[in-house]
Parts: sequence; structure tokens; C-alpha cells
Amino acid sequence: MSLQHYLVISSILFSLGIFAVLTRKNAISILMGIELILNSCNLNFVAFSRFVTPAETIVGSEVFRFDGQIIAIFGIVLAAAEAAVFLAIILAIYREFGSIRPDEVDTLKG
Amino acid sequence: MEFTLKTFIFYGFALITIASALAVVTVRNIVHAAFALMVTLFGVAGLYVFLQADFLAATQVIVYVGGILVLILFGVMMTSGRLEMRIHIERGQLLLGGGISLALLMLLLTVIANTPIWKNLTDDGTQLAPTTERIGQLILNEKFLLPFEVVSVLLLVALIGAALISRKEVRD
Amino acid sequence: MVVPLISIILLAPLAAFTLFAVLGLAKRNFPRQDYLSTFAMLVALGCSLLLIQEVTSDPTPLTVEWLSLGSVNFSMGFYLDSVTVIMLIVVTLVSSLVHIFSIGYMHGDPRYPRFFAFLSLFSFSMLFLVVSDNLLGIYIGWELVGLCSYLLIGFWFEKDTAANACKKAFLTTRVGDVGMFIGMMMLFAKFGTLSLHDGTESGIFTLVEGLSGTGDMVWLSVAGILIFCGAVGKSAQVPLHTWLPDAMEGPTPVSALIHAATMVAAGVYLVARMFPILTPTSSLVIAYVGGITALVAATIAIVRFDIKRVLAYSTISQLGYMMLAIGAGSYVAGLFHLTTHAFFKALLFLGSGSVIHAFHAMHAHHDDAEHPEDTAHEHDDNSLVHEHGAEIPPDQDMRNMGGLRHKMPLTFITMLIATLSISGVPFVFSGFWSKDKILGGVLGRAMEWSSVHHYILFGMALLAAGITAFYMFRLIFMTFFGEPRNQEMHDMAHESPWVMVVPLIVLAALSFPVVNTIWFNKDNFKPPKQPHIHAPQHAYVSPDSKIGDANFGFSLFGVSTAQAAEEDAGPDTAHADDAHHIHHLAHNIAMVLSICVAGLGILLSWLFYHRRRFSAEGVATTFRPVYNLFWNKYYFDEFYDGVLVALTVWKSRLFAKFDLSFIDGIVNGVGKVTRDVLSAFIGFFDNRVVDGFVNRVAEVTWAAGGRIRKIQTGAIQTYLFVVLGGIVLIILIFRLF
Repeated sequence: MSLQHYLVISSILFSLGIFAVLTRKNAISILMGIELILNSCNLNFVAFSRFVTPAETIVGSEVFRFDGQIIAIFGIVLAAAEAAVFLAIILAIYREFGSIRPDEVDTLKG
Repeated sequence: MEFTLKTFIFYGFALITIASALAVVTVRNIVHAAFALMVTLFGVAGLYVFLQADFLAATQVIVYVGGILVLILFGVMMTSGRLEMRIHIERGQLLLGGGISLALLMLLLTVIANTPIWKNLTDDGTQLAPTTERIGQLILNEKFLLPFEVVSVLLLVALIGAALISRKEVRD
Repeated sequence: MVVPLISIILLAPLAAFTLFAVLGLAKRNFPRQDYLSTFAMLVALGCSLLLIQEVTSDPTPLTVEWLSLGSVNFSMGFYLDSVTVIMLIVVTLVSSLVHIFSIGYMHGDPRYPRFFAFLSLFSFSMLFLVVSDNLLGIYIGWELVGLCSYLLIGFWFEKDTAANACKKAFLTTRVGDVGMFIGMMMLFAKFGTLSLHDGTESGIFTLVEGLSGTGDMVWLSVAGILIFCGAVGKSAQVPLHTWLPDAMEGPTPVSALIHAATMVAAGVYLVARMFPILTPTSSLVIAYVGGITALVAATIAIVRFDIKRVLAYSTISQLGYMMLAIGAGSYVAGLFHLTTHAFFKALLFLGSGSVIHAFHAMHAHHDDAEHPEDTAHEHDDNSLVHEHGAEIPPDQDMRNMGGLRHKMPLTFITMLIATLSISGVPFVFSGFWSKDKILGGVLGRAMEWSSVHHYILFGMALLAAGITAFYMFRLIFMTFFGEPRNQEMHDMAHESPWVMVVPLIVLAALSFPVVNTIWFNKDNFKPPKQPHIHAPQHAYVSPDSKIGDANFGFSLFGVSTAQAAEEDAGPDTAHADDAHHIHHLAHNIAMVLSICVAGLGILLSWLFYHRRRFSAEGVATTFRPVYNLFWNKYYFDEFYDGVLVALTVWKSRLFAKFDLSFIDGIVNGVGKVTRDVLSAFIGFFDNRVVDGFVNRVAEVTWAAGGRIRKIQTGAIQTYLFVVLGGIVLIILIFRLF
């Protein structure tokens, strides 16, 4: 399992997420796409942390490569916050427009 | 690269992840999509394990599967109260989106394939797990303390904001 | 000591004027301007007398750099040699006395303080002119005195004659000043400096020596004659002399100070200062102009009846005399005559002022009611002022005078002394010595070089001397002797107050050479070492300019003519002995001849106007054409009126017609074309092209906005499509290239 395996997987996840964001007609589906993108990013972080980061954090004889992991944790936290806010917005939109279809929410149309 | 059990399991996880992600973006029923997403998140958690990130894998399962996914399902239920859980996809939009996604994928793959320093970086087999103690040290005691606090505040603000946005307007 | 003294001399009168100007701005009259100005002049006089001790024969200019334009520097500075100091003393002395005289004469005038302020300004300007070491400073002073002359001639500007006279004086002198300016610019273009003496850089006098014998002599002659043009205007030489008689419209003290003693002498001073650059040609021109002026003015003076006009023409004549002397190479004699003339002519004018004052107890010179004819005439704008018999103010008309010697004994005696001096009565009076020195110098030139020109010039000078004696005694006889012709005015006449008589007495005393020795210390007065042109053809100028350490001409106060001859011959000429001999001879001959002509003139005058042996009217009738010529002043004014003024008017009318018909036609035509054709075209252009363009742009923008608006779908996914598509495109482009 080389780095490139993980990168390919995360690329596929990312593309699928983009695809979902671009094509889905439901706000919650878009949220799912975003979650996919975030996951692909986290996966990238961890993979790079594992394979690329030089072994600089040395305690005793142990080699620690944790930076990427911790960034990924923060990423998960962000995803949680984002999901909470996103759903709140979706609820608000739903109350306002009676729909969560993004193409129907077009008050800013020129 | 010899084909070991580990390799097999890895490919298995990879396949599960990608396939379920594909299901997330393709299935018409949004509830099904949500469950497919759950599988994807599990798959990613499995990949984390392969990367010697056991704490992260656990967090992934707990936070995503236990938190975010439940949140999403709540959202689905609250917004699509009727049986309108089917997702409509327009053909033109589908093609265009697919094209762009595919193009992005091709680009990314090209970059991955053509970046020399990323080639032949294989797992050196270093055993990091269990990582919980070390991550705990880093977050609560060492260099990530400040980001951790910032993120905590961010999370708090996000929750308050979410509560504010989603609550019903109180009419005086 | 030199610098502070000169500073005080210049600043004292300037301060007096400045105080007046400041108070004038504050709309407040300073009641004691007369005392202030007089005091300032007395201070200047005292400093001038102190300066005598500072004079050296080879002074250094006190120069400061004034203005730098690129590589050209204009310096301002003072130059103090014996000529300067003598001029300073003459100016300050006469000015002080005129100030004192004016306290009495101008008493009761509504613009009394202003008069003294102008006198102070004039004094400053004149002193500045005198002490300047470069042509620029001289020119500045030159124009300033011209301005003061203008202001003071027109002091009673309510009178049309005065207003016209001051304009005439200003414009006429301006004609000469243009020439002077061109001459200055020629020198400046050639030498790159206007400094006369060597200071921080070589002055004109040093540089001009390098030109001697070269082809530039013609050029230098032209420059010299052009500079002389300024002197022609300022010193009222023929043909620009016509302004000076009209300038008598000013108050009489002004006539005495400006138009007799100082300003008109500035021209002579300038020519004497510029002596080293004068070539033989320009010298000869100057001499002839001076000689003709002396003769013409003297003959005109014979037939005048206005006492001030007689003196005015006398002044012109005497100035011509000085020019003649300088042109003939006797510049020392010219300056000497300038000095003596300043005293006795100022005295004559002040005396005439005293007489006028006596006739004019009401002090109403400027009162139009008393001279209705003054305002009545001269309504024709095209003609300048000129004297006619009918226009002589009664208080200045000698035909109204007579027998005044009993009424005004002091005025009579002092004026008689001055008249004796100007007439050249021998030995006791300064005028004799200076006039004799000129005559001797000119004759000496003529004999030494057998020059026909100088014989002619000598003849002119001699004739002018005789005529001068004649008309001056005519004035005395008509004014002070005989029976009163106008009993009413005679009864009114009285001796002037002391404040007016004292200056007369002082000036009368200065008409005696012996008095001048008080201030004149001949040990200190060396002639200035004037550099000169060494060109052979210029040789006849060199003796006088090379007098070296011989006593300056002013030592002639009470000294024999033999010494004058020594000076004319010069110590270091090649043919020194011959020259000495000739000049001795010339001076002796000249002295005898001048005594003869003076005596003849006085005798004739006595016969005509005192004994009534001959009738002046009879002679006038007999020689009617000549009399008319003199009476009409050689028709100079008529010539100017009839030719120059008429020509100018004609030319102006022509130009006016040209303007009206042609220029206006063009302008109107252009206007019409502009209005009818161009504006229509431009209007069309504006309406169709410009507006069309603007409207098109607006429409395109409107339409484009309408279409582009649609891009803004408001749907998030559309935006995302574009963003991501853009990213893909950009990356692809970067990958491809």
C-alpha cells in the first residue's frame, strides 16, 4: 500500500463529492457530497502524515507522525460544526421557501 | 508488492469506500444515500486504521457515524416530511457535472501519477498505535493546545449559530 | 568710512520719501514733511562733504552681486572718484538750497508735503545715478529721475498746460532713453557686463581697450552715439530739446533743481562717464550736437518774454556747451562747466522764482481762475504744449516787469551775480573760467590737429557765448531796470521772505571761484584715471584723458589758464612740448576772444534794452524772417506737431481704419462663419455623431446588461459549475502550456 493508493482513493472520493454537489437537487444530498469531500481531504492528511512527514517528532526511540492526524481531527470537528450549521440553514430555508431544492432558492437571480 | 491478506483487506476497504460513495451520489432515495454515506465513512475509518491512525478511526466512527450522519437523517426527516425523498436529477446537469467531476479526477490522477516524490513511498511498517495517549498529549499539553482551544470556540459558536438559525421565530 | 557715508547719502532722502509714502498709504499727512526732507538733504550734504577726504584717484568699486541669470551677473555697486564726489556735492548742495527755498515758495500749497516728498525721491534717484558704478544702476537712476521730473512738472496737474508738459517731457526723453537702452544692450552683448570699472570682473572700460584699432570701432561708435541719445533726451539737446521749455510749467524750485542744475546735467555726466568708450566719430557727433544746441537755444532765448523760458533756453544752450566740450575731448572742462552752471543757473531760476513769487502774493499759480487762458487753450489733443506770447502767465512775463531792483534788492544783486557769471565776465566769476576752459580746449584741439571741425565748433561756441551774454543781460535789464511797465503788479511786488533769499545768497557766493575753495580741496581732487582707447585715430582724445596726475580741472577755481593749457596738453603725449605750446596759445586766444564777445553781448544788450539806443522791435521788423524763426523756436514744435504728431495721428487713423475695416472684417467674418457654418456643422456632428455614439454605447451597455444579467441565476450550483469548470480550464491551460 503505497501513498499513491490512498491518494487515488481520496481523489475518487473527492470527485464523487464534487459530482454530488454539482448535480444533486436536494440540499441534504449536497451536504453528503461535502462530507465526502471532507473525508477525502482527511484521508489525504493522514496519508501524507504517514508517508511523507519526516520523522521529526522523536520521543525516546519512538517515532511520532501525528501532525496529519491531528489536522484530520480538527477537520472532523469542522465537519461536525459545518453539518450543524448547514442543517440549521437548511431548516431556515425550508421554513422560508417550503423547499430545499437549490434551484428553487434563487432570490438573488439577476 | 506482494499480495498479502493485509493488501486484500486494504483493497476491500477501498472498494467498499468507493462503491458506497458512488452509491451516495447516485441513489435516488435520500435515506438510502444517507446509509450509503455511513458505509463510506466506515470505509474511510478502515483506511485510517491501515494508516496507523487508530484514534482517528474511532473518532471518525463516533463523530461521523454517530453524530453527523444522525444529524443528516434528522435533516432529511424534517425537510422532506412527505414522501418526497426521491432525488431528481436533470440529465443535462448530470452530464455536465459528471464531465467536470471526471475532468477533476483525471487531473488529480495525472498529478498523483506524475509527482516524483510521491512515487514508491511505501509503508515503512512503523508502529504508531496506540496513538490516543500521544494525541492527547499533543492536543492538551503540547503544540496543538491553542488550535484545539480555537476549534473548541469555533464549535461552540457554530452550535450557538445553528441553534439561532434553526429555531422558530418568536413572534412578540 | 566710504560705505556708511554713501549709504547715509542715499538713504536719508529715500527715508524722507518713504515716510511720506507710508503715511500717504495710511491716509495721513505728515505736516512737517518740509523740515524732514530738508533735514535729510542737509545730512546728505554733510556726508558728501565728508566724502571729499575719502576720494582717491584710483578707487575700487564697491560692488555687490545683484542678480545672476545663468552665467550672466548683474552687479550693483558704487564708484567713488572725484567726479562722483563733485556731482554728489553739487546735487546735495543745490537740492538742500532748493528745499529751503521751497519752504517759502510753496507755502500754502494744498499738496505741500507731497512736493517735498517728490523732491526727496528725486534727490535719492539723482544721487543713486551719480554713485552707480555700472550702466544698469545708472539706467535705473536715470529712469527714476525721469519719473520724478514727470511728477514734478505735472505737480499742478489741474492746469492742462502742466499736465501736457509733463507728458511731453516724459515721452520726449523716452525717445532718447530707447536709444540709450539699445546702446547699453550693444555693450552688454559685446562685453557681457554692464560694469564700467574693474571689480570682481573686468569692466567695460578695461574691455574696450582691447577693441582699439580693430574693426569694431564702427560698432563702438554706434554704441557710443546711441548712449549719447539718452543724454540728448535727458539733457534736452537738439532735436529732443522741446520738452525742457514746456517743463517750466512745473513749480520754479523744480525748474531750478531738476531742469537746470541736476537732472538735465545727468546727460552730461553720463557722456563724461562714458568718455573712455567714445570713438572719434561719436565724439564728433556729440560735439556737433552740443554746438548746434548751444547756438539754436541761445538764439531762441533772445526773443522770449517769459522769464522762465529764457532761462530754460539758456539751460539748453549751456548744456549744449558742455556736450560740445566733452565731444571735443575736454571732458574735464565739460564737467567743470556743469558744476559752475549748476550753481549759477539754480540761482537764476530761484531768483526768477523769487520775482514770480513777488508778483504772485496770492500763491495761486495753480489757480485756474486766475489764468483762464490756461484751461481754455490746448483742447486739441493732437498738439503738444508750446509757448505763445498770449499764453505767458502775467507773473512770468518780462514785459510786465521792470524797475524791480528797488523793490527786491537782494534778488536783484544775486541774480546779477549769476548773470555776470553765465555771461563770462572775466576773472571774478566762476562761469568765466569754465567757459574759457571749454573755448580754450576746443580751440586747442583745432590748432593742434588743424581740424576744420573743431574750428567750426569753436566758432559756434564763441557765438553762443556772445548771444548768451546778450540775452541774459536783456533779462536783467527788462526785469530789474527801467520803469515799471505794469504799475499794478509792480505795486504788489515785495522782497521775498528770508527763507527764500538765503539760498539765493549762498548760491551767489558759490558763483565766485574763491568761495568754492572752501569745499574744494584740490589736493584731493585728482582727475579720475579714465582708461582710454589707444587707437591712433583716436589720438586727439588722448591728451585730455591722459592728464594723469595733473590737477583736476576744478583746480581752476582761482588758478590761471596756463594750468588749464598744461592739462589739455597732457604730460605724456609724444609731442608734449608742441602740445603745451599750442594749448597755451589757444587758451590765451580763447580768453581774449571770449572776453570780447561777452563784452560785445553785454554792450549790445545795454544799448538795446537799457539805453534804448536801438529799438529791438525795429530790428525785429527789419529781420522779420530771422525773428520769426527765433520767435517760433525754429519751428521744432510745429515740425513735431505738423509732421511727427500728425504723422502719428494719420498713421493711427490709418491703422484704426485698417482695424475697423480689415481686422474687424476678418474678425466679424470669422465670427459669422463660425456661427453660421461651423456651429451648424458642429451641432450636426454633436447631435448625430457624438450623441449617436453616446446613445449607441448606452444601448449596447443596456442590452449587454440585460443579457449578462441572466448569468446571475441565483442558483448556487450554477456558480459552482462555473467555478469548478474554471478551475479545470485554468489547470488544463497550465498543464498544456
